Amino acid sequence: MSIADDLRSMRDDAVRRIDQASDLEALEAVRIEYLGKKGSLTAILRGLGSLPADERPVVGKVSNEVRVAVEDALSARRETLRSARMEARIAAEAVDVTLPGRRRRAGTEHVIDQIVDEIVETFLGLGYTVAEGPEVELDYYNFTALNHPPDHPARALQDTFYVRDLSGDVATVEGESDVLLRTHTSPVQVHVMERQEPPIYVLAPGKVYRRDVADPSHLPQFTQIEGLVVDEGITFGDLKGTLEFFVKRMFGEDRRVRLRPHFFPFTEPSAEVDVSCAICGGEGCRSCGGEGWLEILGCGMVDPNVFGYVGIDPERYTGFAFGMGAERIAALKYGIPDLRLFVEGDMRFLRQF
Amino acid sequence: MRVSLKWLRELVDIEMDVAELCARLDMTGTKVEAVHTLGEALDGVVIGQVLECEPHPDADRLRYCTVDVGSEEPLRIVCGATNFSAGDKVPVATVGTVLPGGLEIKKAKLRGVESHGMMCSATELGVGADASGLLVLPANAPVGEPYASWAGLSDTVLELEVTPNRPDCLSMAGVAREVAAVTGTGYRVPASEPEESGTPAGELVSVSIADPDLCTRYAARVIAGVRIGPSPDWLAERVTAAGARPINNVVDVTNYVLYELGQPLHAFDLDTIAAADGRAAIIVRRAKPGERLTTLDGQDRGLAADTLVIADPSGPVALAGVMGGEATEVSAGTVDVLLESACFDPASTSRTSRRLGLISEASLRFERGVDPELQRRAVDRAAQLIAEVAGGAVASGVVDVYPAPAVPRTLTLRPERVAAIIGAEVLTSDIVSILTSLGMVAEEAEGDLVVTVPTFRPDLEREIDLIEEVLRVWGMDRVPSTLPGGRRAGSLGEAQRVQRAAGRALRAAGLCEHIGFAFADPADADRLGWEFGPGELPVRLINPMSEEQSVMRWTLLGGLLRAVSNNQRRGVPDVHLYEIANVFLTAEGRKLPKERLMIGGVMAGAWERPSWHGDARPLDFFDGKGVLETLMDALDVDRWQVRATTDRAWLQPGRSADVVVRGDVVGWIGEVAPGVLDAFECAGPVTVFELSFKSLLKAGKGTGSYVEVPRYPAVNLDIAIVVPEDVTAERVTAAIRSAGGELLEDARLFDVYRDPADSAPGERRLPEGTKSLAFALSYRSAERTLSDEDVAPAHERLVKTVLKKVGGSMRA
Repeated sequence: MSIADDLRSMRDDAVRRIDQASDLEALEAVRIEYLGKKGSLTAILRGLGSLPADERPVVGKVSNEVRVAVEDALSARRETLRSARMEARIAAEAVDVTLPGRRRRAGTEHVIDQIVDEIVETFLGLGYTVAEGPEVELDYYNFTALNHPPDHPARALQDTFYVRDLSGDVATVEGESDVLLRTHTSPVQVHVMERQEPPIYVLAPGKVYRRDVADPSHLPQFTQIEGLVVDEGITFGDLKGTLEFFVKRMFGEDRRVRLRPHFFPFTEPSAEVDVSCAICGGEGCRSCGGEGWLEILGCGMVDPNVFGYVGIDPERYTGFAFGMGAERIAALKYGIPDLRLFVEGDMRFLRQF
Repeated sequence: MRVSLKWLRELVDIEMDVAELCARLDMTGTKVEAVHTLGEALDGVVIGQVLECEPHPDADRLRYCTVDVGSEEPLRIVCGATNFSAGDKVPVATVGTVLPGGLEIKKAKLRGVESHGMMCSATELGVGADASGLLVLPANAPVGEPYASWAGLSDTVLELEVTPNRPDCLSMAGVAREVAAVTGTGYRVPASEPEESGTPAGELVSVSIADPDLCTRYAARVIAGVRIGPSPDWLAERVTAAGARPINNVVDVTNYVLYELGQPLHAFDLDTIAAADGRAAIIVRRAKPGERLTTLDGQDRGLAADTLVIADPSGPVALAGVMGGEATEVSAGTVDVLLESACFDPASTSRTSRRLGLISEASLRFERGVDPELQRRAVDRAAQLIAEVAGGAVASGVVDVYPAPAVPRTLTLRPERVAAIIGAEVLTSDIVSILTSLGMVAEEAEGDLVVTVPTFRPDLEREIDLIEEVLRVWGMDRVPSTLPGGRRAGSLGEAQRVQRAAGRALRAAGLCEHIGFAFADPADADRLGWEFGPGELPVRLINPMSEEQSVMRWTLLGGLLRAVSNNQRRGVPDVHLYEIANVFLTAEGRKLPKERLMIGGVMAGAWERPSWHGDARPLDFFDGKGVLETLMDALDVDRWQVRATTDRAWLQPGRSADVVVRGDVVGWIGEVAPGVLDAFECAGPVTVFELSFKSLLKAGKGTGSYVEVPRYPAVNLDIAIVVPEDVTAERVTAAIRSAGGELLEDARLFDVYRDPADSAPGERRLPEGTKSLAFALSYRSAERTLSDEDVAPAHERLVKTVLKKVGGSMRA
C-alpha cells in the first residue's frame, strides 16, 4: 500500500469521524488528533521531506488534497454544530413575552397641580409671569384694599378663618384679630401692584381658605388661580378675548363662552364666566343642571378704588382681573363627584392622573 | 328673591315668554337660579257641574253622578261624598290625572258601575284641610276650565340671585323696574293715598330720633279701630308666594308692602307703647348698658351698647330693623295700630343681626340699604291696605321725622370713557336711554353726560358704576373680543423653575404628589414628640372647624402619616407620596407667621407588589435616601451628606439622619419611630423626610460646565477593608477619596460584610465587632492608558494611608 493510499484512507477516516462529532468540543478533539501539533496528518506532512525525491510530488499533492479535505470537513461540521448550538440556546432562552415587564412606576403629579400648570403654561404664552403671596394675610390685603366695606359679610367669623395675632395689636375690624387665612388669591393683586409699576401681567395660583365643612362640593381649603393685567388701554374686550382664548385652550375649541354681569367688590364692571356644557353643548342636560352652561370663573375690570389703595392712576391705566377654582375645573374636566378625594392622598386616586 | 310672575305682571308689561325673560335677566346681571311652576300638580283637574245624582244601584253609600266638565259628553262618576247636590260645581280629576298625593285616576268599575274620573275634596287636591266632603265651588266657577288656573294656583315663581349691590331689586316694584329696563317695556309704581279721618296722628304719637347717624328717617302712622283677623285670600296668597307665612291681616299687610316696595315695616299695638305728654312716645336710640328685650320669638336678649333700639319712655320695645318686641306686638286684642316705616343704618343693622343671630327679611334689606325716600310712600300704602283688610280709620297725617333729607347724587359720565373701559363704541343716545330706563336722569353738557341717580340706587357712586350699568344692559355679548397687545415675555422665576424640577425628580423617583390640608392637630406635637425651636409657636386659628384642625401645620409630617394610615386602612399597602407646601410658625410679638416652603416625602410598603420576577422588598431608610439622591441630582446640589442623629424624636434612632449641605442642616430623613407609628395608626416601616426648599434652592449650584468623557480605559481594583463597627462608610469613603491622588477616579462601595450573629467561633471570618467594606476603585488618566505598573504605587500608598486613617486592616 502506498503512502498516498494511506493518506486517502486517513482522510476518509477523518471525514467520517468529523461528521460524527457530536459537539464542538468533540470536533476540536478530532482536529487535534489529525491536524494538531502532534496530529497524525501533521506527522505525515512533516515527514514529506524525508521521502525519496521521485515520490515527493505525488505524495505532496495527495497529502495537500487530504489536508484541504479534512480542513473543509472540519469547518463545515463546525458551522453545522455552531448553528445547532445557537438554535438550541435560542430555544432555551425563549420567554413568554406576555409576562408583565419589570418596572418601577413613576409617580404622578396631583391633578390640581396639573390643572394649575396647564393654566400657567397658557398664560406664560400670553406673556404673564407667576406671582406669589402669603397664605396668612392681613385683613387689609384680603379685604380692605380690595374695596370690601368694613362690615362686608365675608369678614364674618363664620366665613373666614382668623389667626391669633401675637403682636399685641388690637384689630379694628371683626373681633380680636386682623390676621386671617386668605379667602382668595386676590390679595396677591394688591402685593404685586404695590411693588411693581404697570404694565403688569401676572398669574397667581395658590391655596385659599374658607370656613366650609368638607363635603362632596365644599372644602375648607382649595386652590385658586388669579390673573391680573394692568396696562394702558386695557378694555373689557381684552378681558373677554383673554378668557375666551383660555377657555378654548383649556376645555376645547368647540366650547362657547359667555360673560354674565355680576358683582364683586374689587372689580367694576364684573362678570361671571360660563362655559358651554360639554355633554349637551348648551341645550341643557342633567350634568349642567339643565342650564346648558357651567360657571367656571369670576372676573371684571379692576375697580378704581383698588387702584386708589396702591397708588395707580386710574385715568392712565386700566386693568382686569379674574379668578377661578382649580378643584372645580378638575371636577368638571374629569367628572370627579366628591372634592374630598383631592385631599385624602389615596394612592388609587392619585395614580389615575 | 322669589318673584311671582302673576304678581310681577301687574307691575310690568312682559312681552316675552318665561325662558326668554330668564335669559335676558341672566345676561343683564340678575341670575335666575330656579323657575318653579305652581299648580302644575293639578293638571287634569277641571271644574265640573253635577247634572244628575242617582243612588248607586248596589251600594247604599255611593252615588252615581253625571257631571258636565265642558266636554261633548258628560262624565259618569261614582262618588261617596254627600255634601253636594245636582247643580253644584266641584273640581273633577279626569282620567289620567295624578293627584298631589300620588293617586292616579283611572277608569274604574265600582260595584259594577263604570266611573270616569273623581270629584275631589280640598285635601285630595292639597289645597286645604277639609276632607269631610267635596270642595264645592262658587256658582260662577266656569265649567270645563282648569281648576288650578281658575283658583289662582297657577303661577310661575322665579328665584332671582340679587347681588349685594342691588338692594333695589329686593322688591317686586324694583324687579318690575329692572325687567322694564332690560326688556324695554313700561312699569307701574304701586301707590296709595289713604283716606284719613279722626284725631291727627301727631296728637297720638311722638317720634324722636336720638341717634340720627343710625336712623335717617322715621315715619309713623296710626290706624285706629282695626279688627285683627285672618287675611283675605288674595293677601295670604301673595305673602305665601313671596315665601312668608300668613299671620294676621295687619302683619300680613306689613309683609306685603315689604315685598312689594322693599320697605320693611313694623306694626306696634299703640296701647302698649308708653306715653309722654299724653302721646305714645317713640324714641330711636342706642341701647343703654344692661338693657334687655324679649323679642317676638320669645327670646329674652341682652343688648350690646351700640345696638339701635326703638324705645318708649319705659325702655326698648323693638330691635331697630331686625325684630319687634313681644310686649308691643299686634295681637288678637289690638285695636289701634302704630305703623313704623323707617330707614336704619346698614352697618348697624348688620351688626345687631349678626350679633344676635337674627336674620329677617327686614334686616336683610336694611343691611343692603333701603331707599331713604321710600318711607312715606310705604307707610301710606300699608295704612290704606290695613284699613281695607282690617277695618279701622287711618288717623290723619304722618309723623315723619326726617332731619336730613337725602339728596340725589349727580355724576358725570364721559362717553369716551365708556368706550375706553368697554372696548366698544356705545352711542351716546343708547347710553342715555339705558340710564333713563333705569330711573336716572341723563343730560348732555359739553359732550359729557350729567346723570342724576335716584336714591334707590346707593350702589351708583362713581362714573365707573354708571359704565357698568351701560355695559350690562347694552350687552356684554356685543363687546368684541380682543387680546391685549404684546410687549412682554412670560416666564417662570428661578424658584418656580426649581420647584417644578423638584416635583419632576420626586415623581421620577416614584413618589406621587399629595396635597393635604394646611390645618393640623396641635396634639400632633405630642404624638410626634416634636420640640419647637426656642420661641417658636404654632399658628393658632381663632375659629377653627374643629380642635383637630385648629393650628396651621408646622411640618408636613403629620399629614403625610395620616395619608399612609388612610391608605393602609383602605387596603392599599404601598404608599409613596411627596408634598411641596408651606409650613407655618410664629412667635410672641409677631403679627404674621413665617411661611416656609417644605418638601416632604413618605414611603411605606414596597415599590411594587410581589411579581413573577421578584418579591416585594419592604421600603426602608435607603429607599428614602435614594429618593433624596435623585432629588439632589436634579437640583444640582452636590456637596450634601446625611449625618446620623438621635435628636429627631419622631424617627427611630439608628435609622435617622439630618440632611446636611455644607455644614447646614437643611432637613432630615429616617424611619418613623415605633411609638409614633402607633400614634398615627400606621404599620411600619415608614420612611419619611422633610427638607427646606429654600435651603436646597440656595445650595443648587446651577448649571456646571462640561467635564470631558473619558477616552482611555480605567484600571479597576477592588479592596476590602475591615474596620470597627463604629467607623462609618462615609468616613472610609472620604479617606479613600482623599488618599487617592489624581489618578483615583471613583471609589464605589459595593459590599458590606458582617459575620452572622450566630456564627460559631470557628466559623468567624472577621474579628469580633468589625465589618468589612468592599470598594471598587477605578484609576484613570485623561492623557494615556494606564498600566498595572502605573497604578501600583498609588494604590499601595492609598491602602496604607486609608488603613492608618480609619484604623482598619485589609481583609484576608
